[in-house]
Amino acid sequence: MPTCTDPSPRSVVEALRGDRGTRPRADLTSASGLRLILEDGIFALLHNVLPATPIVLRASSLRQLGPSTDISESAHARVRGILVNHVLRLLSVGAAITDPFEDALRAWRLEVESGELLDFVERLQADDLARLATDVTAHSVTLMRSLGPVNHYWLPRSAMRATQMLCGGSVILRDVIDLMVGTTVGEFASVALFDVTTSPLGEGAERALRYHALVQTLRSGVVPLRTSCFSTATAEMWSLDVDGELLTRSADEVLCALANITSHA
Amino acid sequence: MTTFNFRRNTARELNELVRDAPVGVSLTDDHRRSLSARFRAVSSAGRRRLDAWSVEQAGQPSSGFHWTPATARRLLGNGAMRRMVRQSISPSEAVSDEIEDQLLRCASGYARAGSLAYWLASRSASEIALVSAEATNWAVQVHEIAQGLEREWRVAASDAFYDVASARTSLRARRDLEVPSVEGRVVLRVRSGSPGKSAGPGLRSDLTIDTLADPQGVAPRRFIGVWPEAGVMLSVDGTMDDLRAGARDLVRTAVVSERRRLQKAA
Repeated sequence: MPTCTDPSPRSVVEALRGDRGTRPRADLTSASGLRLILEDGIFALLHNVLPATPIVLRASSLRQLGPSTDISESAHARVRGILVNHVLRLLSVGAAITDPFEDALRAWRLEVESGELLDFVERLQADDLARLATDVTAHSVTLMRSLGPVNHYWLPRSAMRATQMLCGGSVILRDVIDLMVGTTVGEFASVALFDVTTSPLGEGAERALRYHALVQTLRSGVVPLRTSCFSTATAEMWSLDVDGELLTRSADEVLCALANITSHA
Repeated sequence: MTTFNFRRNTARELNELVRDAPVGVSLTDDHRRSLSARFRAVSSAGRRRLDAWSVEQAGQPSSGFHWTPATARRLLGNGAMRRMVRQSISPSEAVSDEIEDQLLRCASGYARAGSLAYWLASRSASEIALVSAEATNWAVQVHEIAQGLEREWRVAASDAFYDVASARTSLRARRDLEVPSVEGRVVLRVRSGSPGKSAGPGLRSDLTIDTLADPQGVAPRRFIGVWPEAGVMLSVDGTMDDLRAGARDLVRTAVVSERRRLQKAA
């Protein structure tokens, strides 16, 4: 018997936006509850003794819980990730990319001017530089083929930073969302968060997805529609619709990561 | 005494801040003369430029200005916002038009060295795309804030500048959005990052400079600083106490930076 399924989306952007008719009403009330869960949890964790310097949590703190040797944290992998992210930034404004490595490197140089990772690139031997260029180009081509055209009426913005201070600044949640579309102003939820990684997707990526949704909810007070992650290593995309359960789970994961950090300190 | 209102950056809170703003006071010529005398009393080697940033940094000399995507985004983003108000176009389109205008200005010989147009003209296509991405981020953020406002709003035509008479001192206050009404205006300033400990005094000096730059000396009913990245707002009311405190912060900054200059010279 033939089975009818929903057709797969043709591009990443199409999957991000989804069906307009099925969007839920914008949830403007969950943010305060989540903040309360986090504040109470942090005070219980810290036993009411506030740290001298703030504890900073990032999406990477949730990707990798506890100490480990991860090859995705090597300088080469980090530079590759940064450059592929710059390719996404250029694509988000409809730029025509002829040489992904050169274009991304130029854009990155303009942005940071100096730094440890930029020095790493400057010091690379010709063959290592060529290897990096090939790597970045391969990942970028996967991204460019899968992304699809980004309609400018969806208000795409890239590398969106967010900071949330909890417990009077004792804990700081930091986040950067690679690409965000949709608006927080409106009757229906429309904000979609998009993260690009050059590593294969795993459990850590899923936690990071939830973390993006949590920080965005705390920052704007509006629950986003969905949070997605695309791996340029496997051309695989994970997308989760954001709801109260997902956000509460992320708050628990943040508290777990904090417990991990404070127990190692 | 100054009271700073600290709120979450949501449309409801913002509208409440705008709605409940008290009526702003006015500065007289006596006030202006008194401020000028105070600035004249602080010696200066050259022309002094003060703004909220110098107040927040306690008069620390800033490193030389140069254009980067981060420094260009506000100018281009606010220009794009003005276009979006005039024509019904998206933020990305408005930013593209704004950049094209800048490049045209340079090509036609109207741009001077060091200007944004001049800098943009020397950049590659991918670099301009990154500048465009930054400016689009800014324009969308400001547009989202403006769209949440219940009352009529407008993009500020320019920053507020005030030249203190015979004191070789220029004051500058940044402003991004204005909510005009018959009782007076509410001014919004959008900022990157999170508010630091000195964000309040910075905001208060913005309020004072904005009032001084007004031809009638009418203070905004409220000056609101919005930090979209941190999701918070801080506001200060246009009362005489706050204006006085803002003026004191500015004079103190002038004194501290002059003291630093003299220490360095000694």
